[in-house]
Amino acid sequence: MDEIRYKKIIYSEEQLKERVSALGKMITDDYCGRELVLLGVLKGSLFFFTDLSRAIDLPLQLDMIAIGNIPDMTSSTGIVRITKDVDINITGKHVIVIEDIIRTGLTTAYLLQTLEARKPASIEVCTLLYNPGRQLIDLPVKYYGFEVDRSWLVGYGMDQCDYGRNLPFIAEIEH
Amino acid sequence: MPIITISRQMGSLGDEVASALSSKLGWELITRDLLMERFFPDISQEQRTRLGESAKFYLSEYKDGISFRDVLADSLNTMSVEGSAILLGFGSQQLLSGNENTIHVRIIAPDETRLSRIEKQFHLPAEAAAELLSSTDRKHKRFVSHVFATDSTDETLYHLILNTGYMSVDECVAAIIATWKEHQLRVRIKAETKEEGAMNHQTEMPVFKNPSEAEFAKILDMYHIDWKYEPKTFPVEWDSEGNVTLAFSPDFYLPRFDTYLELTTMNQKYVTKKNRKLKKVLELYPGVHIKIVYKKDFLELAERLRSFGNE
Repeated sequence: MDEIRYKKIIYSEEQLKERVSALGKMITDDYCGRELVLLGVLKGSLFFFTDLSRAIDLPLQLDMIAIGNIPDMTSSTGIVRITKDVDINITGKHVIVIEDIIRTGLTTAYLLQTLEARKPASIEVCTLLYNPGRQLIDLPVKYYGFEVDRSWLVGYGMDQCDYGRNLPFIAEIEH
Repeated sequence: MPIITISRQMGSLGDEVASALSSKLGWELITRDLLMERFFPDISQEQRTRLGESAKFYLSEYKDGISFRDVLADSLNTMSVEGSAILLGFGSQQLLSGNENTIHVRIIAPDETRLSRIEKQFHLPAEAAAELLSSTDRKHKRFVSHVFATDSTDETLYHLILNTGYMSVDECVAAIIATWKEHQLRVRIKAETKEEGAMNHQTEMPVFKNPSEAEFAKILDMYHIDWKYEPKTFPVEWDSEGNVTLAFSPDFYLPRFDTYLELTTMNQKYVTKKNRKLKKVLELYPGVHIKIVYKKDFLELAERLRSFGNE
């Protein structure tokens, strides 16, 4: 790909910094004295996850999780599975799942179902971008950066055909 | 509260399945001896022995003109309301027949497998093991036949029959738990439906009205999200005689998230009509969560399904 073609910048680098810093402060206040684990969902949440974790002024554990679709004998379409699991033990700990964007919520619902089986003390979701109008399943989204109604976005971890993740801002692309 | 009854052939590993199931679920395992102690604490040793030896004795009077069998059935039905348990043997599938809080399981194995297990377990020669197996099978059959006038080998008495000639104890336990969960969900939806004044619409198999619904079911499967197809119908308008004139049956119910989903892949005119109907449902049935899957979301999810499928 020669260049990323985007229509306009939706959230600038400064806006993102400011919002991430505010979210970090909220989480610091809410989780003070609790054993906290941040789980970043690869690859979209990569930069949000690293910036947010540094904006939280608490001792915490970090880990990342990835999901993908793999072929399955019992399904013609394959099934969604965790392709990179959590390495640390989350049982009895307070977990926040960090997402870049929640649209229908099906992927996050699958993740939460899987993580809940490991008996964390609590599990919440923090997403940078959130579209509650499109969400099909009510998820415990405790923190979000911005409410959006656009789908085709790139930058700050989000991609277009796997490119554009390293843009420091979030832009709308043509579809 | 729930009860799982387990009927088993001798040498079928039924006791092992019941014990493993009890550990896995954390439910009490109730055997015949425990049941006698709990429900008939005041009987004499002679009565206890006769109950162990004679099926007919169960039909005799225990107290106040009520037979041992009927006291047992009443006590078990009361227990099914108060606590969860696994009942092993003594025709419990008959005692709790028709009780909605219960599923009935039978554990079997091929005769050759059972014989070989009995030979090993009791250190018996083949002939003696065969005799023991045959007499025990006869005794079990006679007991259920005399006490309940039915045949314990009748497949229609059970929700699930498992063959340990082909399945391990762990596999049987997993199958029983899966069956139990589905049964519990079916019963829950039925009860809720009655309470809400909606109509129970659970079918024996989903017949999708259009290809989009079938495709959406595949998407949910892909994400391991359990679903039921059109399990409830919500009446929204009635005529002066109380007959339902307008009703809404959301396409999918996601039990884990207590959410109904209605697919809308058609043009805007119908979407507006559907939204109006949905608004009425939400007014009439507060607390029911229904979401519309709009065409845009459906197409995006279907696209993801196709691209995954092609990988």
